[in-house]
Amino acid sequence: MNEQIAIYQEVDRIIEQKGRSKGSVIPILQAIQQKFNYLPEDALRYVCRKTDITNDQIIGVASFYSQFRMHPVGEHIIKVCVGTACHVKGADHVHDAIRRHFKLTAEEETDASRKYTIERVACLGCCTLAPVVQIDEITYGHVSSDKIENMLEDFEMHAGSSKSEKGIFRSMKGDHIQGEIRIGLGSCCVASGSEEVKKAVEETVENSGIRVSLKNVGCVGMCHQVPLVEVIPHNQSPILYAKVKPEDIQGIIATHFKPPGYFNKLKNNIYRFFENVQTSSVWEGVKQYSIDAREKQVTDFLDQQIPIATRYRGIINPLDLNEYKAHQGFEALKIALADLSGEQIIQHIKESGLRGRGGAGFPTGIKWKIAAEQKTEVKYLICNGDEGDPGAFMDRMLLESYPYRVIEGMLIAAKAVNATHGYFYIRAEYPLAVKRIRQALIYCRENNLIGEDILGSGFSFEIDIYEGAGAFVCGEESALIASIEGERGFPRIRPPYPAEKGLWGMPTLINNTETFAQVSYIILEGSEKFSSIGSATSKGSKVFALAGKINRGGLIEVPMGITVRQIVEDIGGGVQNGKKFKAVQIGGPSGGCVPMQLYDTPIDYESLLKVGAMMGSGGLVVMDEDDCMVDIAHYFLSFTQHESCGKCTFCRVGTKKMLDILTKFTVGKGTLKDLDELEYLAGWTKKGSLCGLGKSAPNPILSTLRYFREEYLAHIDGKCPSGKCTGLIRYEINDLCIGCTLCAQKCPTEAILFKPHHKHEVIHDLCIKCDACRTVCPVDAVEIH
Amino acid sequence: MINLTIDNRQIEAQEGTSVWQAAKSAGIDIPVMCYMEETGHIASCMVCLVKNTKNGQLFASCSTPVSEGQIIVTNDEEVTESRKTALELLLSEHVGDCEAPCQSVCPAHMNIPLMNRLIAKGDFAKSLEVVKRDIALPSILGLICPAPCEAACRRKQVDDAVSICTLKRFVGDEDLNSVQPYRPKISDPSGKTVAIIGSGPAGLAAAYYLQIKGHQAILFEQADRPGGTLLQIDKEILPDDTIKLEIDEILSLGVQIHVNETIDKERFANFLKEFDAIVVATGTPSTDGIPYGLATNNVGIVADKFSYQTSIRHVFAVGNALRTSKMAVRSVGQGKEVAAVIDRYLNSGEMKGYPARFNSKFGKLMTEEFIHYLKDSETFPRQSAGKEGFTIDSAMMEARRCMHCDCRKPESCLLREYSNHYLADQKRFKGEERKTVEKLIHREGIVYEPSKCIKCGICVQLTSNHREEFGLTFIGRGFEVKIGVPFNEKIEQGLKNTSLDVAKACPTGALAMFNEEQQLNL
Repeated sequence: MNEQIAIYQEVDRIIEQKGRSKGSVIPILQAIQQKFNYLPEDALRYVCRKTDITNDQIIGVASFYSQFRMHPVGEHIIKVCVGTACHVKGADHVHDAIRRHFKLTAEEETDASRKYTIERVACLGCCTLAPVVQIDEITYGHVSSDKIENMLEDFEMHAGSSKSEKGIFRSMKGDHIQGEIRIGLGSCCVASGSEEVKKAVEETVENSGIRVSLKNVGCVGMCHQVPLVEVIPHNQSPILYAKVKPEDIQGIIATHFKPPGYFNKLKNNIYRFFENVQTSSVWEGVKQYSIDAREKQVTDFLDQQIPIATRYRGIINPLDLNEYKAHQGFEALKIALADLSGEQIIQHIKESGLRGRGGAGFPTGIKWKIAAEQKTEVKYLICNGDEGDPGAFMDRMLLESYPYRVIEGMLIAAKAVNATHGYFYIRAEYPLAVKRIRQALIYCRENNLIGEDILGSGFSFEIDIYEGAGAFVCGEESALIASIEGERGFPRIRPPYPAEKGLWGMPTLINNTETFAQVSYIILEGSEKFSSIGSATSKGSKVFALAGKINRGGLIEVPMGITVRQIVEDIGGGVQNGKKFKAVQIGGPSGGCVPMQLYDTPIDYESLLKVGAMMGSGGLVVMDEDDCMVDIAHYFLSFTQHESCGKCTFCRVGTKKMLDILTKFTVGKGTLKDLDELEYLAGWTKKGSLCGLGKSAPNPILSTLRYFREEYLAHIDGKCPSGKCTGLIRYEINDLCIGCTLCAQKCPTEAILFKPHHKHEVIHDLCIKCDACRTVCPVDAVEIH
Repeated sequence: MINLTIDNRQIEAQEGTSVWQAAKSAGIDIPVMCYMEETGHIASCMVCLVKNTKNGQLFASCSTPVSEGQIIVTNDEEVTESRKTALELLLSEHVGDCEAPCQSVCPAHMNIPLMNRLIAKGDFAKSLEVVKRDIALPSILGLICPAPCEAACRRKQVDDAVSICTLKRFVGDEDLNSVQPYRPKISDPSGKTVAIIGSGPAGLAAAYYLQIKGHQAILFEQADRPGGTLLQIDKEILPDDTIKLEIDEILSLGVQIHVNETIDKERFANFLKEFDAIVVATGTPSTDGIPYGLATNNVGIVADKFSYQTSIRHVFAVGNALRTSKMAVRSVGQGKEVAAVIDRYLNSGEMKGYPARFNSKFGKLMTEEFIHYLKDSETFPRQSAGKEGFTIDSAMMEARRCMHCDCRKPESCLLREYSNHYLADQKRFKGEERKTVEKLIHREGIVYEPSKCIKCGICVQLTSNHREEFGLTFIGRGFEVKIGVPFNEKIEQGLKNTSLDVAKACPTGALAMFNEEQQLNL
């Protein structure tokens, strides 16, 4: 009873904060879950008694969004990312290994002690660190199935310690600044340990008394090198250090800055230092090496890029408003507010040739024009940051690293179409992005950049944040609107288009985050300059998340029309580990593969469609000879099938039936008839589905069938040429075996018969094909047949 | 006003009208399941797709407003295929039977569950009417039928099959022994005559149904009395009295009979001119003379599987003349079917097979599903019948053992209607596993069977419109989505004042009125 009263009190408080209207349901549910870790039935019933929210609405919504849990979970949540990049790098093995570690049965998600609950998540947006696991707020990159214990041990060490956000670094006194140290604080950097590095710098600097300014910068894009630390000694050229570990810091600092009595001080403090921050002796990261910005691979990585949305990257602190202003920030807004009419702004955007960066490529200027033509008192504007594609993280990076640029783009758009209220719709899996935007909005409000009479122009505009709750389909604009209105994310038939009739029935302009991020450049530099970049039909630059089997993954912004080969070979440095390039998957679950024979395909909307791929939101996942294309199709279909909202017949049932057939293929039970049915279903799901999710869901199948049909045929014959489909392979130990027993020690099911110093043997009946033996073998004696 | 073209017709429609509505006003019917005026546009079922010829794209006509200059096609091959495919996808997850297994295996296709329900209610007269729609000789078959229906009876999985055959005998006997046996309504005379050669079960049944349809049936029997092979059965099993009583009932409708008449080739040739149609129901063909020059194969006369038409246009063949079978019920069933085919032929000149109607099937019950099917039936064991058959009490008790596997909306279900129309194949996308079936019974006489639900959303919208406290809602998403009452409340809680509305509005048999017998007055 007391427990119930406590719940009621808590819910009352939440309702007070979030409101009583039907539209408040998702924020209320989020707050309840935040508080109780799940959604207690008592709480939900109470909400319905106290607000306009109805029983059917609350259950309909709570059961729709994957963020919500109806049952209590363990104290800590382990999220295994199964995004595309993680998938191709063995996320399933990691997931299975964690389950084995906790001895979970097929139905269980929480371990016996109720301490850990394991979940699969679509994409954490840290693709360059694949495979990625997140435990509560801590993200682990490059996790492998044999490192599970280390990871948990590390987490246990961290879990107790307070994770105070406030750095202990204090502002500099005195005028003699010896230089600047920049630390990347994008999600990839943080996940790879940049927070630890930052602490190490803070402590080292504090204990040494060196006078440098420490600066946090947003994502640099070189996610394959994280954490990145850039040191800029006074009046000298910057030196970039990659893959830095906390223990490297003292060396780095000592190299560039010479404090008085530095070594004595350090000696006194060195033990304390290690006690506080050393974690990587347990969590073994990757090799560290320093790179110079003039080095070839860095220039290769950066030189072909054109930063527009990511302008001044690695230079500006994401939340430092003054610094943004110092780098032409809000200049475009000033022009738009003072010198340009709405029509003129739209004209500029039209002339620039900018097209929607969310994937479909609808001309932005036309969309704005339709919205502007609606004569209503209230008009909404939404920034779509519901980046759901597994394998894409552009929106996350832009929101985290360039919050002001996105806001500026929104303000200019608002002025152009005469919108009255704006929303950021940001997906739930991006807590850092939400945090940054929230803070940025506060600073903007304080500086009269949003709110009443912006910069004295007479134009008023307010922006709120709306957090998604875990539904890929909400990236579709009509489903996104339904979600803000507090409904299940069911897409609606268009027309009417949101620009005519959207949120709460009012005209609503929805653009992708990246689209907004490019607006200020166009206004400032002119539409001509923008349209001079790119190809005939696709203008400007496009941000891509480059990941998968690539040497230099990361976030890149390249001119439209650049070829796949240029991106993979020149920017990305080619395929990892000397393997053979097979294809690059573009556009995630809505897109398709570009194979070797089309390596020189230029990347623009039309060319990609022609080869059966799609711009999508911009995930580029590189695949090598070890990747099975049937498995990839199966992977994407299981994603879309899981994310189908279930409204229309073709998508709800069609995706399931296609997935069932693909599953048959991966275990060698597919037939030629199944192949025909698969193509038939793919064709009809594409033609008959209601929204873009369903219409594009078959693309990964159609595209792999188009270029890799022989792999499907091989599966019909019971063979997986890449040795990926566990139903079709077996592990064998060859004569290279030196009898070291390492594999047997790692084997979770004791499926390796061993005698020290003799050739070992796999017991096939026991083998679960977890790949642990092959990974650990020092002499490549474990083979897949 | 908006001008558009639908199926080559110029149509004018108010702005904001849906394409579906505009087509309907012009008399062009487009199927739709998820749209109701009261609930508005939902656009979930996707059987209303039509084609926009300008871009070749298909779109949901129920929810898309008309626009100026649209050129729409509602019935080309691609559109038709889209509907068939949508239906087949829906059917792949539709676990439910249109007709109970007993009925679908019955060669005469008798509506057994309905018979049982009427017996259970004590309405034996109605029950007999239902039986006689398909079986002209219920008392006789009640004694001799090997009862394939009982082999298919789902109750057999729980304990023993319902004693269907003896129940049918019971209603037949009740009728024969009553003061005023059942008289079917007979149509006005058509002026057509049909010769039926042979008066065994097939010929008798054909005569019975042809006579009801207003055609003069004339039986020609070479023996000295009607009955054919029935007369060869052990009298202990099938007494002469029963045969006579039941055949007299048929003859009493005005069917003529000529006994001791052998129809040879010449007479047959005359028949061809004298009669509007001829039914050959002569039993297993003998080696001499008979099939009258009709095409044959090694088992008997060759006739169309559905229309029973032989190599001569207005000559039909049924019963053992086609293929020897020990099941009189098959012959009786064919007699009924050929009568329907001939009736259509005589009325319209159109020769069309007996309609094989779409029938959703899901096969065996799983153990965990028994309880749902038993909700609707008594659990006591199979009643035994004496030599005289069931007593009134035992018949009613036995009838209450029936689990009513049939659907309660066999006539109004749109899924069935469209599947029938578009020749949808339920098995096309069948998966390896099927959903489990459940029956939730609302005390106001509503049954909810989630496995028959197509997730159209009409009931969710309706309960919301009517401000039900709990109502129905979508639970989960994607393929796993279900319609249920929030917080797992009972169905009565969910449907406090809308139960009849949702049962009526549901386009399938998922939500249905329990006591409405759609097939009673067909």
